[in-house]
Amino acid sequence: MADHKQPPASTPPGVCRGRLAEESAGGADSPAPRACDDRPVVLSTHGLTKRFGKLVAVDHLDLAVCRGDVFGFLGPNGAGKTTTIRMIFGLIFPTSGYAEVAGHRVPGERVAALRHLGGFVEVPAFYPNMSARRNLRLIGSAGGDASEGRITEVLDTVGLLTRGDSRVGGYSHGMKQRLGIANALLNSPDVIILDEPTSGLDPQGMKDVRELVRELGKVGTTVFLSSHLLHEIEQVCNRAVIINRGRTVVEGPVATLRPRDEAVKVMTGDQQKAFETARALFGAQGVSWDEGYLVVRAGDEGVPELVRRLVADGVAVRAVVPAVEQGLEEFFLGLTQSSDADGGRGEPAGRRARQPCAAWAASSSRSSFNGAPTSAGRVCWPCRC
Amino acid sequence: MPLLIVLALDLSSSKPAPGEGPPFFAAIINNGIFVPVAAIGALSFFLLPLVAAMAGAFPLAGEAEMGTMKTWMSRPVGRAGVLFSKWGVAILYVVVGMALVGIGGLLAGWLVFGIHPLATLSGTTIGIGAGLERIVLANLLILIALLCTISLALFVSTLTDSSLTAAISAMVLFVVLTILNGFSYFDFMKPYTFTSYNLAFTNLFREPIYWQPIRNALLVYGVTVAGLLAVSWLIFRRKDILT
Ligand SMILES: Nc1ncnc2c1ncn2[C@@H]1O[C@H](COP(=O)(O)OP(=O)(O)OP(=O)(O)O)[C@@H](O)[C@H]1O
Ligand SMILES: [Mg+2]
Repeated sequence: MADHKQPPASTPPGVCRGRLAEESAGGADSPAPRACDDRPVVLSTHGLTKRFGKLVAVDHLDLAVCRGDVFGFLGPNGAGKTTTIRMIFGLIFPTSGYAEVAGHRVPGERVAALRHLGGFVEVPAFYPNMSARRNLRLIGSAGGDASEGRITEVLDTVGLLTRGDSRVGGYSHGMKQRLGIANALLNSPDVIILDEPTSGLDPQGMKDVRELVRELGKVGTTVFLSSHLLHEIEQVCNRAVIINRGRTVVEGPVATLRPRDEAVKVMTGDQQKAFETARALFGAQGVSWDEGYLVVRAGDEGVPELVRRLVADGVAVRAVVPAVEQGLEEFFLGLTQSSDADGGRGEPAGRRARQPCAAWAASSSRSSFNGAPTSAGRVCWPCRC
Repeated sequence: MPLLIVLALDLSSSKPAPGEGPPFFAAIINNGIFVPVAAIGALSFFLLPLVAAMAGAFPLAGEAEMGTMKTWMSRPVGRAGVLFSKWGVAILYVVVGMALVGIGGLLAGWLVFGIHPLATLSGTTIGIGAGLERIVLANLLILIALLCTISLALFVSTLTDSSLTAAISAMVLFVVLTILNGFSYFDFMKPYTFTSYNLAFTNLFREPIYWQPIRNALLVYGVTVAGLLAVSWLIFRRKDILT
């Protein structure tokens, strides 16, 4: 595949739209990144920064969430996700910068902003001695109104209807998590923020929550979902940002977040012969070994050609499977580790941002890598191009 | 609380103190109307402040302890509203406690000793109606004194997320002030500490009422409460709500 040399700002169809931090980075008064096309931005942060002593937990974060987005907020432990969400809710005060919800600034117009916001931070907390229903009635009536009908509706939505009258103290972790979502939905806010809603859930619980979030997205609710699982974000979100150490690493439509892995694992009757064939086709760079499998970075069009050639050479093809899992982990680790490794926060932004790309390219040594510096001196993130 | 009243009453009626003793205890055996006065007066030295410290500390810090503070603060409610409604809740607790003491004391005193027109500290006698009025006034004055402790506890609970720590700290501060008031060396600060006006209510039982010390007490109480609330607000409005 050819490297893309155009600046990504022009985004011709099919060209990388995943964007690096620098493109949206700016001062506290920078306009919200134009990522929404014609949809309004309902949630944004502007140069949002939070220091805890020496530690910079959130570092000039600029986010823009558009109406109807299911927006993934991705990062490893300690990346600053919860801190960012706390600032959006006005629970803690930014060192500098601000958030904006439906046109209202936080912390300045916190109460007005919260009228458009629902959700929870970390583990949702309720009064353990009261029933779910009573909790919702009590909390929902603070600054809003919660009719019995609506309470029943949200309890039904999260699948707690039958347990709505029992003590929350007796709830399992997953049930509390669901109740948190019910509480988030209660006043039908414009934006729902969920901080790692699937953490600590069993596979069924995770699946339920993800399905619920997808449903919310379908009916047009804007959801801001934090997670440290890339595949979770890929399942439910349409756009996402990956942060590490309080900084944006990459953002854009989820499809552009990571490269599509064109690599396939091949198992044949004669691996040595297959290796020769593949090398002839894709070069030494495109072929490697993985536990007896031949890993070939063939690209979409390359695979049929490879199989044809192998069959022609009389090699019995036993299996051709996508090597996608590996690519995913590698990618995420590469991103977060290399932005860890740079450490120096005083470095010029351009260099800092290019590093993850380079590190990732080196570690995976894939020929299909297309994350080359653009003419504008920026990096087009490896992506589906 | 009702248990405490009974206890206090039991103690006071079984010990018909001669001469001095805590204010009004000696008078009880002659007139049941003094029971609520003696009870509230005795309790106002330690037990009521303790209740006030707990009542002032729990609504705010307890919420943080349970983790529900962030749930509230994620709702469109103002921080001032949250803070001052917690203060209000604390006052409500104390008022209910005091009402129980007062009404329970009056009933018990009436049953055991009977109620008669009341002899004032000045030696004159006033009617039962006027006497009850004085008792209500005394309770109000003690309530205002307790507002100081409540506000102190509220202030401490804006600094910590543990209700026990907040209540104990407020109580310790109260006790330390009370002890300092006992040393003549610290006499210079006596006029400014709310703990040194505990007995101001006795002046309501003079004829005519001796207002001067009561006015002084009210002034100190007012300044103390206003100051503590202002500081609490300044801290709470910028506080990081983590739980
Ligand atoms: N109240 C605080 N005081 C001091 N440091 C804090 C505080 N809150 C967060 N931090 C620090 O800020 C950084 C970001 O923490 P944060 O909780 O936002 O991470 P996170 O992305 O939510 O991580 P996780 O995936 O583990 O939930 C961490 O290094 C953390 O230690
Ligand atoms: Mg977190």
